[in-house]
Parts: sequence; structure tokens; C-alpha cells
Amino acid sequence: MKKPLYATILLIVAALIAACGQAGQGGGAAAPTTAPVAAPTTAPQATEADCARPEVLCVGLVTDVGEIDDKSFNQSAWEGVKRAERELGAIVNYVETKDAKDYAANIGLFTEKGYDVIVTVGFALTEATTAAAGENPNVKFIGVDQFQAEAVPNVAGLIFAEDKAGFLAGVLAAEMSKSNKIAAVLGTNLVPPVVAFKEGYENGARYAKPDIQIISTYHPGGLDTAFTDPKWGGDQAKLAIDQGADVIFGAGGKTGNGALIETAANQGVFCIGVDTDQWETVPEAHPCLISSAMKLITPGVFDLIQKAKDGAFPSGNYVGEVGLAPFHDFDSQVPQEVKARLAEVDKGLRDGSIPTGYNPGG
Amino acid sequence: MQMTSSVARPSAARIPWLSLGVWGALAILVLIAYARAPQATTAVLTSTIRQSTPIILGAMAGIMCERSGVINIGIEGMMLIAAFLGYLANVWTGNLLLATAGALLVGGAVGAFHALMSITLKVDQIIAGTVINILAVGFTGYFYQQGLTTRGKLAPIDIAPLSSIPIIGPVFFNNPPITYASLVLIVVIHVLLFRTAWGLRTRAVGEHPAAADTVGIAVNRVRYINVIIGGMLAGLAGGFLTLEAVGSFERNMTNGRGFVSLAVMIFGKWTPFGAWGGSLLFGFANAMQSQIQFLQNQLPPWLAWVSQTPPQFIGMLPYLLTIAVLAGFVGRARPPAAIGKVYEKE
Repeated sequence: MKKPLYATILLIVAALIAACGQAGQGGGAAAPTTAPVAAPTTAPQATEADCARPEVLCVGLVTDVGEIDDKSFNQSAWEGVKRAERELGAIVNYVETKDAKDYAANIGLFTEKGYDVIVTVGFALTEATTAAAGENPNVKFIGVDQFQAEAVPNVAGLIFAEDKAGFLAGVLAAEMSKSNKIAAVLGTNLVPPVVAFKEGYENGARYAKPDIQIISTYHPGGLDTAFTDPKWGGDQAKLAIDQGADVIFGAGGKTGNGALIETAANQGVFCIGVDTDQWETVPEAHPCLISSAMKLITPGVFDLIQKAKDGAFPSGNYVGEVGLAPFHDFDSQVPQEVKARLAEVDKGLRDGSIPTGYNPGG
Repeated sequence: MQMTSSVARPSAARIPWLSLGVWGALAILVLIAYARAPQATTAVLTSTIRQSTPIILGAMAGIMCERSGVINIGIEGMMLIAAFLGYLANVWTGNLLLATAGALLVGGAVGAFHALMSITLKVDQIIAGTVINILAVGFTGYFYQQGLTTRGKLAPIDIAPLSSIPIIGPVFFNNPPITYASLVLIVVIHVLLFRTAWGLRTRAVGEHPAAADTVGIAVNRVRYINVIIGGMLAGLAGGFLTLEAVGSFERNMTNGRGFVSLAVMIFGKWTPFGAWGGSLLFGFANAMQSQIQFLQNQLPPWLAWVSQTPPQFIGMLPYLLTIAVLAGFVGRARPPAAIGKVYEKE
């Protein structure tokens, strides 16, 4: 009987393929590299060796699991770093993280070369960043989307007022709605920024039209599924559209994208994206995407690098800018008075004369 | 001792008062809701159908395999692989029909792989299914590239005069093609299993393969074909996810729907119509879960606590309902007698 042998071989092959798949996750179609850490590409002027000298500004960026050109957080942060290269003459470099285990090792690649500023992208790197900051008190760390519960002198957490971005999206949604009914399809309420987006959106819509009807729904799953369930997002968008909602705000990673794509299949319904300008990230949503509630990561990262260079590096939380993405193809469909209203609300949010009505913990 | 005549028939002569009562009560509730809020009620029912489609397809995949005596816990993996390759076919060719056919074929191929492992190679069938599930996560996760865009998804087809009937019209007669296909397949598979010679052979092989063999049925051939058909049904469920419901792919996007299918299959006592009832209950609970959140601030004060409950708790309801129904209403669920056993001629 040779049968068990075949079976064993099959099992081993399957396990191997599965293992490779795990390693490659986030790396997408990258080569099945067994090395856990991708080596940094060499900087253009090859003066990385000078980083140890105090007068040379070196900026390193560690991505969250994913690629540098992900058209989202990683890429936006990297563009801020590249602006520092152009305008501040910094030497810049990045490491793509392939596996969440490697955050600390990847930060270490920069600290041991004497980099002055290290940008770590994403909430998931908070712990690794704080630990590295403790070990390297002379290095400045910029943590994108990393809320600092306790201020560490050499760490600035670049965070955003999602409620303000949501508020603007809500005003736009209410103004563009003909049925006077709008919806939001959200990731989980376990993640505070999602709650901020929702509360801001609802309050913004009510600010624009007090009698507007808002139907919103959170994904009921945990962190493992809430942001990667486009089918659920699509189901919710359809359920809302069938009840007369004609603007859908999708805020929840791939789950939200599912809602945007579903909305695109329906005539006369608008959708609003989140985080970055989703016109670039979800082309399938072009038929409905009027705008996105954006976190402006690029200028935030640049400002912090500049402050680090000038010796005015802030510690604790640094609140970056938020705003609406361009209307793209819908520019002609958004009436002038709506644009004026948005500009006015934006101004009010900035100077504090319009509260978003979102106070966590209060 | 159980081999009485009632085995072959899906529903015994006794009138199932309990399930009649449950469905009747639901129907009355729906009518009351429709009288109060016609648009929302129709939307919830449409969502019920939409959310039950991958579940019933997956459950029928399980029925085809298990009725012939092969356990298939790899439905989740079959769905995921077919969803992924169907999506790639859509990206490359832009032809949705071709992509759907691709998903079907891929499902069939994975089904054949399952049959090879569990029938020819005599691997433990639970392990064979697990292999498929793990393989699917690894394979799709590894080859998935971010940034591929598809050219649309399957659009709803309005069946003109029928779709204007209130409630039933928009719910049943304005659906995309795979949803229609799933509704037709419920009847087709019911007839196939319980009204044709092939169905009789399938069930014979699943209940007592030795007896089937002595009357000249090629046991393993029947099993192979049924497992491949089952794979194709799971493939269609995967195609539904990427080609009809979402229009795009995401890692692990089946999110356990294949396993829910298995629960629904047992709930339906291995019959297509029973499983359909189960998947409708599941879809309805899911749709209500969202609707309750939608109703926030619109409920009367004495019901306000409903919308105050966390979404996670409400999200648990479909599963609680499944457990309650499995434990209480269905009674004893008896799988085919020869399930999981490799047939070897003496």
C-alpha cells in the first residue's frame, strides 16, 4: 500500500504552498522571498554613510505590511518624505515590511545607520516605535496614525481629526441628496477613527439639513474581518439604496470599498470614499464617487520632518490636516453654492466656530 | 434499525407543525411590517435573498457530496479559489459570462481534487477538506495583486411583468443571473436527488455502498461525479461573491460563509429545500441585523434599547438563531449512513 505516502506528499505540498502564501501576504505578487526583511534600496547620492554626521539630515520610512506604492497610507507618507528630499535636501530611504513580526527589525535598519528621523506608518507600529524611541533617544520618530496615550519626548504621533473630515463629507452628502436620506457603511466601532468618521458625518449632515435621515451600520465582526469584507459592505449599500438612500459614505477599508463598488452599479446614487482620494484607489467606483473624506498624510509628514530639522520637534500628538478630495468628474454636478457652503464649513471647522459634536469619552 | 422506508423520503408523512408555525409567524410579521414600511420591508427581503445566495449554493455543494457519502468541509476553500480565479478571468477577459464559466470549472476541478484525495487516495475526508481550505487561503493570498481592476459585475435582470407584483416582484424577479440560477438549481437538485435514477443511485451509494455495488452501481464513479458537481456548485458560490455581489476580490473574502453553508445543510437535513429554508433564515437574520442599526433614532422609546445594543451582539444573532434552530426545531439530523467511509470491495 503506497497510498498513505501519496497522501503525505500531498499534505506536505499543500502545507508548503500555504506557508509561502502567508509569507507573501501583503507583498502581493512580490517574489517569494524567504528573507524576512527587504534591504533598503540605496539612496540616490549614495551618501547614506554620512548619516552619522549631525549636519546631514537622513529620513527613513518603515511601511506597514504592504507596499510603498499602495496608493494609500504608505504611499502618502512616502510622498511627504520625498518632499523633504526635494525641499530640505534630506537623504531618504524606505523599508517595506513584509510581515508584522519585522517592525522592530526594520526600524533597526535605520537606527543603526544613524538616521535622524524615522517615519513609521500605521497604527500597528505604535508599540515598535515607542520601544525604538526609548532605545534611541537622539532619533526623532514620526508615527503616522499612532495615537500617543503618553507623550514620549522623541515621538510625534501624526493623528487626524477624522470627525472633521467626516463632517465635511456629511455636509456634502446632505447637500447632494435628493431623497433626503443618506447612509454610511462603516468598519467596526472597535476602532476609534471609524467612530469619529461616523459621528462627524452624521453631525455634518444634520448641520447642513436638520431634517435629513441618516442610516448607518457598523460591521458586526471583529478586527480580523471588519475591514476586509467587501461582500458585507456591498450588501449594506444595496440595503440602504433600496430604502431610498442616495448618498453612501463607505468608511472601512475593503469593506467600505465594497459599498462604493456596489453603489456604482446603481443609477443616480453618489458615494463618498475615505482616508485617501479613492478616485485613485478604487477605479470601479468612478460612476458614483463624488469625493473622499481625506486625511492629508503627505503634508503632515513633511511638516513634522521640517520641525525636526529646525529643532522644534513636537512630542505627543500632532494633529494633521483633513479635507475633501477633488470632485473629479463630478465637478460640474456639484453646484457652486454647495462648494461655497463646504468652504465656509471648512473654515468654521478650522477656527473652531463649528463644533463637530464628537467628543470621545464625553 | 433505522433503515425503514422513511429514509428515502425527505419529509415524513407527519405534518411539521413547528416549522409551519415558524414560517407562518414570519410571514405574518413580514405582512405587518410591509403595511407599516413597504420600502424598508422590501429592501430587507431583497437583502435576505442576496445574503442567502452563496449560502444555499454552498449548502447544495455539501448535499451533493454528502448524499453520495463523501464529507466535504472544503466548501469554504472551493468557494475562495473559484472566487479568486473567476475574478482574475474577469480582469483578463472582461467577459463576465466567461468568468462565471471559469469559476464553475475551477470549482469542478477543486471538487475533482477532493474526490481524488478522498476516494482514490483514501485520505481521511476531513483532512482532505482541511487541505483544500488551507491551500485556498495560501494560494489566493499569494497570487493576489492589489490594484487590479475589473470591468464591472453581473447586473440585475428585471423580469418585466412579474417584477411589478408587490413584495414578491422586486424580491424574486429583479435579481442578477447567479441568484436566479441558484433558485432554479434548488428545484433541479431536488428533482435530481429524489425523482431520478441518478439520485436514487447517489443516495444508495451514500447509505449502503455495498448493496449498491451488488446491484451493479459503480460506487466510486457515482461518488466522483457527485463530488465534482458539488465542487461546481461551490465554484458558483465563489463566482457569486466576486462576479455578482462585489465585483472585486479580497483576501479571505469568503469569511466563513462556506462553513455556514455546512450548518445550513445539516439544518435542512441534507435536502435542497430544507437548506434553502435555513439559508433564508440566516440571510434574514443578517439583513435584520443591519436594519436594526439603520433604525437607530427612529424606534419608539420603549424599543430604543434595541438600537443601543452593540452591533457585535446583533451580529451574533444569525449564529445564535442557527444554533437554536439546530438544537430545538430540527430534531434529530441523520446524515447519510456511509458518510466519510471509503468504499472498498471485499
